[in-house]
Amino acid sequence: MSLEIRNVTLELGDGDQKVKALDNVSAVVKTGELTAVVGPSGAGKSSLLAVCGGLRTPTSGTVLIDGQSIVDLSPAELTRVRRDSIGFVFQQSNLVPALTAIDQLLLLVHIKGHKPGKADRERAQALLHEVGMDQRANRRPDQLSGGERQRVGIARALMGEPKLMLVDEPTSMLDHNRGRAIVELLAARCRDHHVATLMVTHDAGMLEAANSVLHISDGRLVQER
Amino acid sequence: MFIALRDLSYAKGRFILMGLVVALVAFLTALLSGLASGLIKNNISGLIELNVTHLAFEYNNKPSYRNSMIDRSMWEGWRAVDGVIAAEPLGHIMFNARKMDDDPLDDVVLWGIEPGSFLEPEILAGEGLGRLENGVIISELLVERGLKIGDHFILDRVQTELEVVGVTAEYNIGHVPIVYTPLRKWQEAAYGPPGGPPPGEKLPDVLYDYASIIALQLDPDIDPAVIAQADIDQGTLTVDKQSAYEASSGYREEIMTVRLIQGFLIIISAVVIGAFFTVWTIQRTREIGLVKALGASNGYLLRDAMGQVLILMVGGTLVGTLVSLWVGKRFADAGSSFLLDLGTIFASSCLLVLAGLVGSALSVRLITRVDPIIALGRER
Repeated sequence: MSLEIRNVTLELGDGDQKVKALDNVSAVVKTGELTAVVGPSGAGKSSLLAVCGGLRTPTSGTVLIDGQSIVDLSPAELTRVRRDSIGFVFQQSNLVPALTAIDQLLLLVHIKGHKPGKADRERAQALLHEVGMDQRANRRPDQLSGGERQRVGIARALMGEPKLMLVDEPTSMLDHNRGRAIVELLAARCRDHHVATLMVTHDAGMLEAANSVLHISDGRLVQER
Repeated sequence: MFIALRDLSYAKGRFILMGLVVALVAFLTALLSGLASGLIKNNISGLIELNVTHLAFEYNNKPSYRNSMIDRSMWEGWRAVDGVIAAEPLGHIMFNARKMDDDPLDDVVLWGIEPGSFLEPEILAGEGLGRLENGVIISELLVERGLKIGDHFILDRVQTELEVVGVTAEYNIGHVPIVYTPLRKWQEAAYGPPGGPPPGEKLPDVLYDYASIIALQLDPDIDPAVIAQADIDQGTLTVDKQSAYEASSGYREEIMTVRLIQGFLIIISAVVIGAFFTVWTIQRTREIGLVKALGASNGYLLRDAMGQVLILMVGGTLVGTLVSLWVGKRFADAGSSFLLDLGTIFASSCLLVLAGLVGSALSVRLITRVDPIIALGRER
C-alpha cells in the first residue's frame, strides 16, 4: 500500500476561531488505484490533500507514504518527500506561465538537481504522448485549453516517478465530457504507472473510474464505497 | 536558472524595460567615472607627469604648493640623504598673464625648474629650457589661448616678460596651465621687485636660494624612518606622489563631488532594482508556491531568482557602459574632460552589478516566506 492515513485530525485557527478541518480521518489508498474524496465545498478535501502532501502538519494522527511517516519530518525533509515521492495535479491554472508543456515536465528533473538530458526529454515526450499532448509540447499554458493544461499537469505529476499522486479538483474548470475524460485518463495512468492516487473533487458525477470513493463532510469521512 | 531564463524570454517586455533602467544608470555611472578621471587629469596632469616619487614641502600642518617655501640648504640636505636618487628645487607660483597686445591669457602657474633637470617636460614643439634666460615652455592649453613659439607675454603684477621657446602637452595644476620657467627667472619673478632690478643693479644672491618645494626621486626600498628623520633635519613635510595630488587646489573637493554623485547612483540603482524584484516576486508568489509544492527548495528558487538578477544587471550594465564609452569618446574628441580609464569604469560597473544584487537579494528573500500550500488555492 502506498498511502495510509491514520486517525488524522487537523485543527486550524486559534482560540475561539479554532476549527477542526479534519476530524479523526483514516483511509488507505493502494498502489495503482484511484481513490476519490468527494464532498461539498469546505468539507475538508483540500486539508486532506495538504496533510497527505506534507503541506500541513496534522494536529494528531499519522500519514504514511510507502510505510514511512511524514508527520514528524522537517520542512527540508518534507520538500524532499514532495520532490521524490509525490506527484501533484493542481487545478488547471497551476502550470508555470513561462514554461512550455515539455518544460513543465523537465522542471521536475531540474528541481532534482539534474540538467535535463536526452533521455529525460524522450521520457517527457512519451508522457505527453500518453496524455495526448505530444503535438502541443512546445505550447505555453496561455496557448492551451483548460483540458489540455490539466493533461499536462497529469504528465508533469508522473514525470517525477512518484509513489503517490495527489489530485486537486481536476475537473473544476472543465465541462462534463472533458472532466470525465480527464478522470478516466488519471485512473488509467495511475494503474499503468503503479501509483496510488488520491483525488479530491466536489463533482460526484466523475467517480465511475475511481476504484474507491470516500465521502467527506465537516472534516469527517462519512461513507465509503 | 531553468525558470529564470524562460521568464526572461516570456516576460521580455518588462525585463527589457528594467534592463533599460539599469543601462541608463550604468551609462551615467560610467560617464561620471570617465569625467572623474578626466577631471583628475585636468587638475593634476602636471603633477602626474612629474618624474618623482615624493615631494617635500616646507613643514606645515598639511602640504600646500602656494604657501611652501624652501631654501638651498634644505634641498642640498636632502641630496645628502642615503636612498635619495635626486632632489631638485621646484618653484610654484600663480600669475595672471597677458599677451604683448594686452589680450588676457588668464591664470598661469609658473613652475621654476633647473634647465635640463628631470623636471623638464618632454617637448612637443620648439626647444627646451636654457638657451634664453627668459625662455619658457608652455602647456598646450596656452597654444589654444593664442600663444605660439617666439611669442612674448607679460606676467601681471611683476611685469616680467617671458618668451615661448617650447610647447609641451596639456599639463595643468588646479586646472591652470603650467609655464615651465628657468629657476633663476622664476626666483626673480617670485621674489624680485616688479619689473626686475633697477637699471645697473643686480638682485641679491640670496634671492636665488629659495624655491617652493623639493622634487624627490627616492629609492623604492628607502626606510620610511630615513624619510621621517630627513624631514626633521631639513624642516620639511614629505609626501608620496599620490598624496601630493591632494595638495592641488580643488582636487579633493572635485573628486568627492563626483564620487558622491556616483554613490547616489549606485544606491538609486540598488533601490530601483530591489523595488522591481520585490514587485516581481510578489507577482510570482503563486508560481513560487507551486514550484515549492512540486519539491523545489528555497535554495533552488533563490539561486534561480538571483541568476535572473545577475543576467539583468550584467546585460544592462554592459549595454550602458558600452554606450557611455562611445559617448565619452566623443566628449574627449571634442575636448571635454573625459578620460577613458577602463580600469575605473570596469570597477564602477562591477560596483553597480553588486549593488543590484544586494538590492534584489533583500527582495527575493521573500521567496523563503512563500508557503507552498497556496498551490492548492484554498483550504478550509
